[in-house]
Amino acid sequence: MDSTNSSGSDTLLSNASNVIAITAHEFKTPLTTINSIVDLLTSKLQADHLMNAFYQQNLSRISSEIFALNSMVDEMLTINNILNGNIQSNREMMDIGLLLSPLKEQYQAFPDDGRSLIIHVTGTPKEICASAAQLSRVLSNLISNAFKYSRKSDPVLHLDYQEKKVVITITDDGIGIPEKDLPQLFQPYFRASNAEGISGTGLGLSIVKSFITANEGDITVNSQPDKGTVFTVTFRYPDTCQ
Amino acid sequence: MNARILLIEDKAGLLDTLKSLLELHNYTVYTASNGQEGLSIATRYLPDLVISDITMPVLNGYALLDSFRADPQLSKIPVLIASAKNEDHEIELVMQKGAAGYLTKPFVFAHLHEEIKRLLGNSMIAAKK
Repeated sequence: MDSTNSSGSDTLLSNASNVIAITAHEFKTPLTTINSIVDLLTSKLQADHLMNAFYQQNLSRISSEIFALNSMVDEMLTINNILNGNIQSNREMMDIGLLLSPLKEQYQAFPDDGRSLIIHVTGTPKEICASAAQLSRVLSNLISNAFKYSRKSDPVLHLDYQEKKVVITITDDGIGIPEKDLPQLFQPYFRASNAEGISGTGLGLSIVKSFITANEGDITVNSQPDKGTVFTVTFRYPDTCQ
Repeated sequence: MNARILLIEDKAGLLDTLKSLLELHNYTVYTASNGQEGLSIATRYLPDLVISDITMPVLNGYALLDSFRADPQLSKIPVLIASAKNEDHEIELVMQKGAAGYLTKPFVFAHLHEEIKRLLGNSMIAAKK
Protein backbone atom coordinates (compact mmCIF):
# COMPACT_ATOMS: atom_id res chain seq x y z
CA MET A 1 0.00 0.00 0.00
CA ASP A 2 2.76 2.32 1.01
CA SER A 3 4.72 1.55 -2.10
CA THR A 4 1.63 2.20 -4.27
CA ASN A 5 1.13 5.59 -2.60
CA SER A 6 4.79 6.40 -2.95
CA SER A 7 4.76 5.42 -6.61
CA GLY A 8 1.64 7.53 -7.18
CA SER A 9 3.13 10.60 -5.55
CA ASP A 10 6.39 10.08 -7.44
CA THR A 11 4.44 10.04 -10.71
CA LEU A 12 2.55 13.16 -9.66
CA LEU A 13 5.81 14.93 -8.79
CA SER A 14 7.39 13.80 -12.04
CA ASN A 15 4.37 15.09 -13.99
CA ALA A 16 4.43 18.40 -12.10
CA SER A 17 8.14 18.70 -12.83
CA ASN A 18 7.53 18.04 -16.53
CA VAL A 19 4.76 20.65 -16.57
CA ILE A 20 7.16 23.22 -15.06
CA ALA A 21 9.86 22.34 -17.60
CA ILE A 22 7.49 22.48 -20.59
CA THR A 23 5.78 25.68 -19.40
CA ALA A 24 9.13 27.38 -18.79
CA HIS A 25 10.31 26.48 -22.30
CA GLU A 26 6.99 27.59 -23.80
CA PHE A 27 7.43 31.02 -22.18
CA LYS A 28 10.57 31.62 -24.18
CA THR A 29 9.04 31.77 -27.65
CA PRO A 30 6.60 34.62 -26.85
CA LEU A 31 9.45 36.40 -25.04
CA THR A 32 11.55 36.05 -28.21
CA THR A 33 8.67 37.36 -30.32
CA ILE A 34 8.10 40.38 -28.04
CA ASN A 35 11.80 41.21 -28.00
CA SER A 36 12.02 40.80 -31.77
CA ILE A 37 9.13 43.26 -32.13
CA VAL A 38 11.07 45.71 -29.92
CA ASP A 39 14.11 45.18 -32.18
CA LEU A 40 11.94 45.65 -35.27
CA LEU A 41 10.48 48.92 -33.94
CA THR A 42 13.98 50.11 -33.01
CA SER A 43 15.37 49.27 -36.46
CA LYS A 44 12.41 50.88 -38.24
CA LEU A 45 12.58 54.08 -36.15
CA GLN A 46 16.31 54.31 -36.86
CA ALA A 47 15.86 53.62 -40.59
CA ASP A 48 13.18 56.34 -40.79
CA HIS A 49 15.31 58.77 -38.70
CA LEU A 50 12.53 58.97 -36.10
CA MET A 51 14.43 57.53 -33.13
CA ASN A 52 14.76 59.85 -30.14
CA ALA A 53 15.83 59.50 -26.51
CA PHE A 54 12.26 58.89 -25.28
CA TYR A 55 11.62 56.00 -27.69
CA GLN A 56 15.10 54.59 -27.12
CA GLN A 57 14.78 54.63 -23.32
CA ASN A 58 11.36 53.01 -23.25
CA LEU A 59 12.13 50.37 -25.87
CA SER A 60 15.26 49.50 -23.85
CA ARG A 61 13.12 49.22 -20.73
CA ILE A 62 10.78 46.74 -22.42
CA SER A 63 13.78 44.73 -23.57
CA SER A 64 15.40 44.63 -20.13
CA GLU A 65 12.11 43.55 -18.51
CA ILE A 66 11.83 40.74 -21.08
CA PHE A 67 15.31 39.48 -20.15
CA ALA A 68 14.55 39.85 -16.43
CA LEU A 69 11.48 37.66 -16.94
CA ASN A 70 13.60 35.21 -18.94
CA SER A 71 16.11 35.01 -16.06
CA MET A 72 13.28 34.15 -13.69
CA VAL A 73 12.11 31.40 -16.05
CA ASP A 74 15.69 30.07 -16.24
CA GLU A 75 15.95 30.06 -12.46
CA MET A 76 12.70 28.10 -12.17
CA LEU A 77 13.95 25.60 -14.75
CA THR A 78 17.31 25.19 -13.02
CA ILE A 79 15.84 24.74 -9.55
CA ASN A 80 13.31 22.28 -10.99
CA ASN A 81 16.20 20.26 -12.45
CA ILE A 82 18.17 20.46 -9.20
CA LEU A 83 15.20 19.33 -7.08
CA ASN A 84 14.67 16.40 -9.47
CA GLY A 85 18.32 15.41 -9.53
CA ASN A 86 18.63 16.24 -13.23
CA ILE A 87 21.71 18.41 -12.91
CA GLN A 88 24.84 16.95 -14.45
CA SER A 89 28.27 18.40 -13.70
CA ASN A 90 30.57 18.04 -16.69
CA ARG A 91 33.68 18.61 -14.60
CA GLU A 92 37.11 19.06 -16.11
CA MET A 93 40.36 20.74 -15.14
CA MET A 94 39.90 24.48 -15.60
CA ASP A 95 41.26 27.81 -14.43
CA ILE A 96 38.49 29.80 -12.78
CA GLY A 97 40.38 33.00 -13.70
CA LEU A 98 39.43 32.45 -17.34
CA LEU A 99 35.76 32.99 -16.44
CA LEU A 100 36.40 36.51 -15.20
CA SER A 101 36.94 38.36 -18.47
CA PRO A 102 33.44 37.71 -19.92
CA LEU A 103 31.91 38.47 -16.51
CA LYS A 104 33.79 41.77 -16.33
CA GLU A 105 32.44 42.64 -19.77
CA GLN A 106 28.90 41.55 -18.84
CA TYR A 107 28.87 43.77 -15.76
CA GLN A 108 30.80 46.67 -17.29
CA ALA A 109 27.88 49.08 -17.14
CA PHE A 110 25.43 47.33 -14.86
CA PRO A 111 22.95 48.42 -13.61
CA ASP A 112 23.09 51.62 -15.63
CA ASP A 113 24.29 53.72 -12.71
CA GLY A 114 27.92 54.08 -13.72
CA ARG A 115 29.23 51.35 -11.44
CA SER A 116 31.29 48.44 -12.69
CA LEU A 117 32.80 45.27 -11.29
CA ILE A 118 36.27 45.58 -9.72
CA ILE A 119 38.40 42.43 -10.06
CA HIS A 120 41.59 41.64 -8.12
CA VAL A 121 43.63 38.52 -8.77
CA THR A 122 46.45 37.37 -6.48
CA GLY A 123 48.68 34.29 -6.47
CA THR A 124 49.76 31.96 -9.25
CA PRO A 125 46.94 30.50 -11.40
CA LYS A 126 46.23 26.83 -10.73
CA GLU A 127 43.44 24.63 -12.07
CA ILE A 128 40.50 23.11 -10.23
CA CYS A 129 38.16 20.29 -11.24
CA ALA A 130 34.78 21.88 -12.04
CA SER A 131 32.08 22.59 -14.60
CA ALA A 132 32.91 25.93 -16.23
CA ALA A 133 29.27 26.54 -17.14
CA GLN A 134 28.08 26.01 -13.56
CA LEU A 135 30.87 28.10 -12.05
CA SER A 136 30.16 30.87 -14.48
CA ARG A 137 26.52 30.79 -13.33
CA VAL A 138 27.63 30.83 -9.68
CA LEU A 139 29.83 33.89 -10.16
CA SER A 140 27.24 35.64 -12.32
CA ASN A 141 24.52 35.16 -9.68
CA LEU A 142 26.73 36.40 -6.84
CA ILE A 143 27.93 39.43 -8.82
CA SER A 144 24.39 40.23 -9.92
CA ASN A 145 23.25 40.13 -6.27
CA ALA A 146 26.15 42.37 -5.24
CA PHE A 147 24.96 45.02 -7.70
CA LYS A 148 21.29 44.52 -6.95
CA TYR A 149 21.51 44.85 -3.18
CA SER A 150 23.96 47.77 -3.06
CA ARG A 151 23.82 51.31 -4.35
CA LYS A 152 27.05 53.19 -3.71
CA SER A 153 30.37 51.48 -4.41
CA ASP A 154 31.55 49.09 -7.10
CA PRO A 155 31.24 45.44 -6.06
CA VAL A 156 34.65 43.75 -5.74
CA LEU A 157 35.59 40.23 -6.79
CA HIS A 158 38.88 38.95 -5.38
CA LEU A 159 40.33 35.73 -6.81
CA ASP A 160 43.12 34.41 -4.61
CA TYR A 161 45.15 31.37 -5.73
CA GLN A 162 46.38 30.05 -2.39
CA GLU A 163 48.72 27.11 -1.80
CA LYS A 164 46.08 24.39 -1.49
CA LYS A 165 42.88 26.07 -2.64
CA VAL A 166 41.45 28.90 -4.68
CA VAL A 167 39.32 31.42 -2.79
CA ILE A 168 36.90 33.83 -4.43
CA THR A 169 35.32 36.62 -2.40
CA ILE A 170 32.56 38.90 -3.70
CA THR A 171 32.07 41.99 -1.59
CA ASP A 172 29.46 44.72 -1.64
CA ASP A 173 28.55 47.63 0.63
CA GLY A 174 24.83 47.07 0.33
CA ILE A 175 21.82 46.48 2.55
CA GLY A 176 23.32 43.33 4.08
CA ILE A 177 21.42 40.32 5.41
CA PRO A 178 19.78 40.22 8.87
CA GLU A 179 21.48 37.63 11.13
CA LYS A 180 18.22 35.75 11.70
CA ASP A 181 17.90 35.15 7.94
CA LEU A 182 21.39 33.73 7.38
CA PRO A 183 20.60 30.06 8.22
CA GLN A 184 17.88 29.93 5.55
CA LEU A 185 19.68 31.98 2.93
CA PHE A 186 20.38 29.09 0.54
CA GLN A 187 16.90 27.55 0.75
CA PRO A 188 14.82 27.68 -2.48
CA TYR A 189 12.36 30.60 -2.61
CA PHE A 190 13.71 32.14 0.61
CA ARG A 191 14.19 35.91 0.51
CA ALA A 192 15.80 37.98 3.25
CA SER A 193 13.34 40.02 5.29
CA ASN A 194 14.94 43.32 4.19
CA ALA A 195 14.75 42.47 0.44
CA GLU A 196 11.14 43.53 0.11
CA GLY A 197 10.67 45.83 -2.87
CA ILE A 198 13.71 44.44 -4.69
CA SER A 199 12.83 42.07 -7.53
CA GLY A 200 13.89 38.44 -7.25
CA THR A 201 12.63 34.87 -7.04
CA GLY A 202 14.61 33.64 -4.04
CA LEU A 203 16.13 30.93 -6.22
CA GLY A 204 19.49 32.44 -7.18
CA LEU A 205 21.44 31.57 -4.00
CA SER A 206 19.87 28.13 -3.84
CA ILE A 207 21.20 27.47 -7.36
CA VAL A 208 24.60 28.88 -6.33
CA LYS A 209 24.80 26.54 -3.34
CA SER A 210 23.69 23.50 -5.39
CA PHE A 211 26.25 24.14 -8.14
CA ILE A 212 29.08 24.73 -5.64
CA THR A 213 28.21 21.52 -3.79
CA ALA A 214 28.03 19.59 -7.10
CA ASN A 215 31.56 20.79 -7.83
CA GLU A 216 32.84 19.89 -4.33
CA GLY A 217 33.33 23.49 -3.29
CA ASP A 218 32.24 25.47 -0.29
CA ILE A 219 30.46 28.78 0.23
CA THR A 220 30.18 30.97 3.32
CA VAL A 221 28.64 34.36 3.92
CA ASN A 222 29.47 37.24 6.25
CA SER A 223 27.03 40.08 6.36
CA GLN A 224 26.01 43.09 8.40
CA PRO A 225 22.77 44.97 7.74
CA ASP A 226 23.38 48.37 6.12
CA LYS A 227 27.12 47.67 5.86
CA GLY A 228 27.39 44.97 3.25
CA THR A 229 27.93 41.33 2.43
CA VAL A 230 30.91 39.12 1.62
CA PHE A 231 30.38 35.74 -0.05
CA THR A 232 33.42 33.45 0.05
CA VAL A 233 33.65 30.52 -2.37
CA THR A 234 36.42 27.94 -1.98
CA PHE A 235 37.65 25.06 -4.15
CA ARG A 236 40.54 22.81 -3.20
CA TYR A 237 43.04 21.83 -5.90
CA PRO A 238 42.35 18.20 -6.82
CA ASP A 239 44.73 15.27 -7.28
CA THR A 240 42.54 13.91 -10.06
CA CYS A 241 39.46 15.07 -11.98
CA GLN A 242 36.68 12.59 -12.71
CA MET B 1 22.88 40.70 -54.75
CA ASN B 2 21.32 40.40 -51.33
CA ALA B 3 22.17 37.38 -49.24
CA ARG B 4 19.28 34.90 -49.14
CA ILE B 5 18.16 33.48 -45.81
CA LEU B 6 15.65 30.71 -45.16
CA LEU B 7 13.80 31.09 -41.84
CA ILE B 8 12.17 27.93 -40.42
CA GLU B 9 9.94 28.57 -37.39
CA ASP B 10 6.52 27.20 -36.48
CA LYS B 11 5.37 30.22 -34.45
CA ALA B 12 3.81 32.53 -37.04
CA GLY B 13 4.23 35.73 -34.98
CA LEU B 14 7.95 35.19 -34.52
CA LEU B 15 8.41 34.11 -38.14
CA ASP B 16 6.72 37.27 -39.46
CA THR B 17 8.66 39.56 -37.11
CA LEU B 18 12.05 38.04 -37.93
CA LYS B 19 11.25 38.17 -41.65
CA SER B 20 10.45 41.90 -41.37
CA LEU B 21 13.62 42.52 -39.35
CA LEU B 22 15.85 40.72 -41.84
CA GLU B 23 14.21 42.41 -44.82
CA LEU B 24 14.72 45.78 -43.12
CA HIS B 25 18.43 44.86 -43.05
CA ASN B 26 18.38 44.10 -46.78
CA TYR B 27 18.29 40.33 -46.76
CA THR B 28 16.10 38.29 -49.08
CA VAL B 29 14.03 36.03 -46.87
CA TYR B 30 12.22 32.73 -47.53
CA THR B 31 10.02 31.30 -44.78
CA ALA B 32 8.79 27.86 -43.76
CA SER B 33 6.67 26.78 -40.80
CA ASN B 34 8.20 23.33 -40.28
CA GLY B 35 11.28 21.31 -41.18
CA GLN B 36 9.66 19.47 -44.10
CA GLU B 37 8.56 22.69 -45.77
CA GLY B 38 11.99 24.16 -45.01
CA LEU B 39 13.74 21.21 -46.65
CA SER B 40 11.61 21.60 -49.76
CA ILE B 41 12.31 25.36 -50.03
CA ALA B 42 16.02 24.85 -49.33
CA THR B 43 16.26 22.25 -52.12
CA ARG B 44 14.47 24.56 -54.55
CA TYR B 45 16.25 27.87 -53.79
CA LEU B 46 19.59 26.81 -52.20
CA PRO B 47 19.72 29.80 -49.80
CA ASP B 48 22.99 31.19 -48.45
CA LEU B 49 21.97 30.52 -44.84
CA VAL B 50 19.24 28.69 -42.92
CA ILE B 51 18.00 29.81 -39.49
CA SER B 52 15.87 27.11 -37.86
CA ASP B 53 14.04 26.27 -34.66
CA ILE B 54 14.33 22.75 -33.17
CA THR B 55 10.87 21.93 -31.83
CA MET B 56 8.55 21.96 -34.84
CA PRO B 57 5.77 19.76 -36.22
CA VAL B 58 6.20 17.33 -39.16
CA LEU B 59 10.02 17.47 -39.24
CA ASN B 60 11.98 18.85 -36.29
CA GLY B 61 15.33 20.62 -36.26
CA TYR B 62 17.36 17.47 -35.51
CA ALA B 63 15.87 15.63 -38.51
CA LEU B 64 16.34 18.74 -40.63
CA LEU B 65 20.06 18.79 -39.79
CA ASP B 66 20.33 15.07 -40.62
CA SER B 67 18.64 15.68 -43.99
CA PHE B 68 20.95 18.60 -44.78
CA ARG B 69 24.03 16.57 -43.93
CA ALA B 70 22.90 13.68 -46.12
CA ASP B 71 22.37 15.88 -49.19
CA PRO B 72 25.56 16.96 -51.02
CA GLN B 73 24.01 20.26 -52.18
CA LEU B 74 22.40 21.20 -48.87
CA SER B 75 25.35 20.12 -46.73
CA LYS B 76 27.27 23.21 -47.87
CA ILE B 77 24.62 25.61 -46.53
CA PRO B 78 25.28 26.79 -42.96
CA VAL B 79 22.39 26.13 -40.56
CA LEU B 80 22.03 28.38 -37.52
CA ILE B 81 19.81 26.87 -34.82
CA ALA B 82 17.73 29.30 -32.72
CA SER B 83 16.02 27.46 -29.89
CA ALA B 84 14.64 27.89 -26.39
CA LYS B 85 16.59 24.81 -25.32
CA ASN B 86 19.66 26.02 -23.47
CA GLU B 87 21.01 22.83 -21.90
CA ASP B 88 24.62 21.96 -22.76
CA HIS B 89 23.72 18.50 -24.06
CA GLU B 90 21.13 19.95 -26.49
CA ILE B 91 23.67 22.41 -27.87
CA GLU B 92 26.31 19.67 -28.19
CA LEU B 93 23.82 17.42 -29.99
CA VAL B 94 22.89 19.95 -32.69
CA MET B 95 26.54 20.94 -33.18
CA GLN B 96 27.39 17.24 -33.64
CA LYS B 97 24.61 17.03 -36.21
CA GLY B 98 26.32 19.74 -38.24
CA ALA B 99 24.77 23.04 -37.09
CA ALA B 100 27.03 26.00 -37.86
CA GLY B 101 25.90 27.99 -34.83
CA TYR B 102 23.47 28.06 -31.90
CA LEU B 103 21.46 30.96 -30.54
CA THR B 104 19.38 30.59 -27.38
CA LYS B 105 15.92 32.17 -27.28
CA PRO B 106 15.19 34.86 -26.34
CA PHE B 107 17.93 36.67 -28.25
CA VAL B 108 18.51 40.26 -29.28
CA PHE B 109 18.62 40.95 -33.00
CA ALA B 110 22.15 42.36 -32.69
CA HIS B 111 23.42 38.91 -31.66
CA LEU B 112 21.46 37.19 -34.42
CA HIS B 113 22.87 39.68 -36.92
CA GLU B 114 26.43 39.06 -35.69
CA GLU B 115 25.95 35.34 -36.19
CA ILE B 116 24.47 35.88 -39.66
CA LYS B 117 27.44 38.04 -40.66
CA ARG B 118 29.89 35.52 -39.25
CA LEU B 119 28.27 32.64 -41.11
CA LEU B 120 27.78 34.42 -44.40
CA GLY B 121 31.27 35.86 -44.36
CA ASN B 122 32.05 39.49 -44.89
CA SER B 123 31.91 39.32 -48.67
CA MET B 124 28.27 38.28 -48.62
CA ILE B 125 26.92 40.79 -46.16
CA ALA B 126 23.83 42.35 -47.62
CA ALA B 127 23.10 44.62 -44.71
CA LYS B 128 23.83 48.30 -45.05
CA LYS B 129 23.71 50.66 -42.14
